[in-house]
Amino acid sequence: MPTPNRLDGYAPIGDYAAIGDGRTVALVASDGAIDWLCLPDLDSPSVFGALLDAESGGRFELRPEEPFDTTRRYLPGTNVLETTFTTSRGVVRVTDAMTLPTSGLAPYRELVRRIEGVSGLVAMRWRIEPRPAYGTTVRLERRAGVPIATHGQDAVAMIAWDAGEPVAHDGGIEGRLLTAEGGLAHVVLAAAHQEPLVLPARPEVDARLAATERSWRDWSAGRLYEGPWRDAVVRSALALRLLVFAPSGAIAAAATTSLPEMIGGERNWDYRFSWPRDSAFTLRALLALGCSREADAFFSWLLHASQLTYPEVRVLYRLNGRPEAGERSLALAGYRGSRPVRVGNGAAGQTQLDVYGEVLDAAHEVARSDGGLDRDHARWLAGVADHVCAIWRQRDAGIWEVRSEAAHFTQSKMMCAVALDRASTLAEQGFLRGNVARWRGERDEIRAFVESRCYSEDKRSYTRSADEDLLDASLLLGVIGRYAEATSPRLLGTVDAVRRELARGPFVARYLGEDGLRGGEGAFLACSFWLVEAYARQGRIDEATALMDELIGLSNDVGLYAEEIDPATGAFLGNFPQALSHLALINAAVAVVEAAG
Amino acid sequence: MIWGAIVGGLVGTLVLTTVLRATSELGLTRMDIPFLLGTAVTEDRVRAKAIGYALHFVFGLLFALVYLAIFLVLDESGVLLGAVFGFVHALFAATALVNVLLPVVHPRMGTGFDAAGSAPLLEPPGFLLLNYGRQTPLVTIIAHVLYGGIVGGFVAWAA
Repeated sequence: MPTPNRLDGYAPIGDYAAIGDGRTVALVASDGAIDWLCLPDLDSPSVFGALLDAESGGRFELRPEEPFDTTRRYLPGTNVLETTFTTSRGVVRVTDAMTLPTSGLAPYRELVRRIEGVSGLVAMRWRIEPRPAYGTTVRLERRAGVPIATHGQDAVAMIAWDAGEPVAHDGGIEGRLLTAEGGLAHVVLAAAHQEPLVLPARPEVDARLAATERSWRDWSAGRLYEGPWRDAVVRSALALRLLVFAPSGAIAAAATTSLPEMIGGERNWDYRFSWPRDSAFTLRALLALGCSREADAFFSWLLHASQLTYPEVRVLYRLNGRPEAGERSLALAGYRGSRPVRVGNGAAGQTQLDVYGEVLDAAHEVARSDGGLDRDHARWLAGVADHVCAIWRQRDAGIWEVRSEAAHFTQSKMMCAVALDRASTLAEQGFLRGNVARWRGERDEIRAFVESRCYSEDKRSYTRSADEDLLDASLLLGVIGRYAEATSPRLLGTVDAVRRELARGPFVARYLGEDGLRGGEGAFLACSFWLVEAYARQGRIDEATALMDELIGLSNDVGLYAEEIDPATGAFLGNFPQALSHLALINAAVAVVEAAG
Repeated sequence: MIWGAIVGGLVGTLVLTTVLRATSELGLTRMDIPFLLGTAVTEDRVRAKAIGYALHFVFGLLFALVYLAIFLVLDESGVLLGAVFGFVHALFAATALVNVLLPVVHPRMGTGFDAAGSAPLLEPPGFLLLNYGRQTPLVTIIAHVLYGGIVGGFVAWAA
């Protein structure tokens, strides 16, 4: 691809690739700039935040000094990125990775950029502008000859080997080098948090880079999926692995905050939290790929995190398991002027009833996979089922976390029925104890409510909420969550209606109604993959396969997806990379393979 | 009295460690004494912290015994005198002990003459430990004054 066209300093969202180490994620643009990195963790403040403020957010640039074309790929089976710059004078290859810890004394976090001359002579330039705490200008100092920047309990060191003499200039450190064939240089960012900096040695950095590549390759070689779209499925698994916060097992919904759902709009949210709602999707995807260790870790995290709010399950939790997520706005310009830039997420305080169905469905998956449930977990789940019996009649904010008035959202009610159905099934299987008769009775009442008030004979479809005629793509989850038989006439009709009214080609909108926010949004990619899965579960293999083929073609050049896509231009919108999009891709592919027998 | 010094040394080190940890959480300093001590022995981060905590308590006890010796020479002890010792101790730590002596004996700690080479280097603390954050000298003084006061108090109580 040619040198990317930045608009006012902002690269297109789809222009980024993600690298990470299981604690945090950096986004690398195709012009070699790292525009997003939070340290020390994914949900910490950014040290490079040019993604949200091109002027003052801070970034790590590395590029040829003359016009260039770029080709990129992940090294096969890894989250190590390789960018090849081609200029009129030669070719340079840059390998980017956040190294994984090995034995030996390594920095708390380490970002490595290795520069290799492939052919000719290419003048390269690099510049690091650390702006900790979302854009704070800091004084640069030196330790043992190495430039460093400190801010409170955090510090970063900028180390260059054969990459020119690092010079402090205009609030950053920069250097220039001329690469020749076979030449090798490194620029490394070493970070410390609540401890003195560890300044790494060059041979150890090379060894860690090699070990990191090996570790990712070994992990992806262990993934079980065999079927069509294997490359996309494995890439999705690797993208998810980047979003798994290793210290706790939680899975972040995305690596970023406030990438807009509409350019210039206000739908800008912080997704660096874990949503229990995604638990069933997550567990099915992880178990299908043979990631039982990650699945167990996530399920344990989920039950542990929600202990404090038991029997209520909150909409989202911090990656360390804490429930508070106070929302505030930052004084940043926003991606291409999309403000406010939010950190924290106000949805944490909402009531969303569907989450219980997802959690109990997830428990059902775990019990099936592990052959049972831990006794404490079983007691916890029975308590949650009782809680559902008590609250399902309430109005809620629904799966899309609308900020308009609460309503009786159909998918929420469906998932309450699913929750009690799974609890009853687990009890029948002897995995948990409780008032099964009550659970079944309430489940039947919920179903009666849905069938009588949430179905439109005119549209031959379930509706967005009770006593209205609008549609909602979340109704596809009625098929996926097994609210009823997938091929029941009402679910068949609903899938057709969603396709008819909400889809444009491969793109599916979430809904068309009011949500309490100004402006519109793009098509929601997970909904498109849900449509594939719904087709597959209804035995409509040809439709599922055709749609899946189209959707696979919509990823960016390195196989990643954002939350949404602009149907008119194909540009990505919303936070990136998005766990739900990749989870939905994996589950859709697995469903098609299963349905095809 | 020796038991007073031993108990005071243990409790004082506990308080000192807690204060340093708490101020680190508050973003006032990157000082991490167990990490600094432990990495002199091993490169493994987890083992370094465990060994570092143990070493810190050993040093805490040894310093309490030094305090005891001075109390005996002066034939006087107490919280206030202990706090004064703690203040002097902090100044010594910040200007000489951690700033000059530790980098000399620590196999992985950088000095002004080192550059990153074949082995990883720990960031040197600098004069008054200022490299680890501008509030580090203040935090170090408060923690050591508390330590000294506690040792002095226990010695006086046991006398």
